[in-house]
Amino acid sequence: MSFGAGGPRGPGGRPAAKGGAARGGKEQGKRYFFRRRKVCKFCADRIDYVDYKDVKLLSGFVPERGKVLPRRMFGTCAEHQRKLTLAIKRARNIALLPFAAD
Amino acid sequence: MSDRVYEILFIADPNLGEAEVDALTTQVQGYVEKEGGHIQKVEKWGKKRLAYLIGKHREGSYVLLSVEGGGALIKEVERRIRVTDGVVKFMTVRVDEELRKAERRKERRVAEEARKKSRLAARSAGAEGEGVTA
Repeated sequence: MSFGAGGPRGPGGRPAAKGGAARGGKEQGKRYFFRRRKVCKFCADRIDYVDYKDVKLLSGFVPERGKVLPRRMFGTCAEHQRKLTLAIKRARNIALLPFAAD
Repeated sequence: MSDRVYEILFIADPNLGEAEVDALTTQVQGYVEKEGGHIQKVEKWGKKRLAYLIGKHREGSYVLLSVEGGGALIKEVERRIRVTDGVVKFMTVRVDEELRKAERRKERRVAEEARKKSRLAARSAGAEGEGVTA
């Protein structure tokens, strides 16, 4: 097994330590801390069917205002974002989620 | 074609008692059965707060029906629900295709994971063997 290929691996992992040795260690460490890698929640939890009835799940992806946010906010993959959007729209239709809250 | 699956979710008037909601549910079930549909499941969620006002209502009793049947059946059932008193709002969603797709994805993933695991096991076994010989 080769570890050399794994460049941006874990936060604070091997590459971070290397960079720290080259430059001022603190700043480098900070940067890694800030950039948390986002993983699609639906992929991680293996949700194949995004159910419009699951308000608990959906409301986690809808902010107070009731908008659908872009992918970059939650790190969902394209496929699941599409399904999520559809589910949110269905849930709105039947008053499980708001169209716009004020 | 009558092997489609639909979900009918309707909101009953919150002022109705539990018995009345039950009566309403059996009434809707009656519509479906009369048209030759098959009911897979019935779920009563009870009273929930609505996310926005519907008519003058702040809350409503949700009832979910899973129905097997064709498009003509849904058309007729929807028409009947529309003229039924006590139903504040309803929605029908066709779910069979999406559920089937999800099922297939799941199967594929399980198979892939099994393959990966066996490959990993084989590799580590091979590495061990090398270590022993060396």
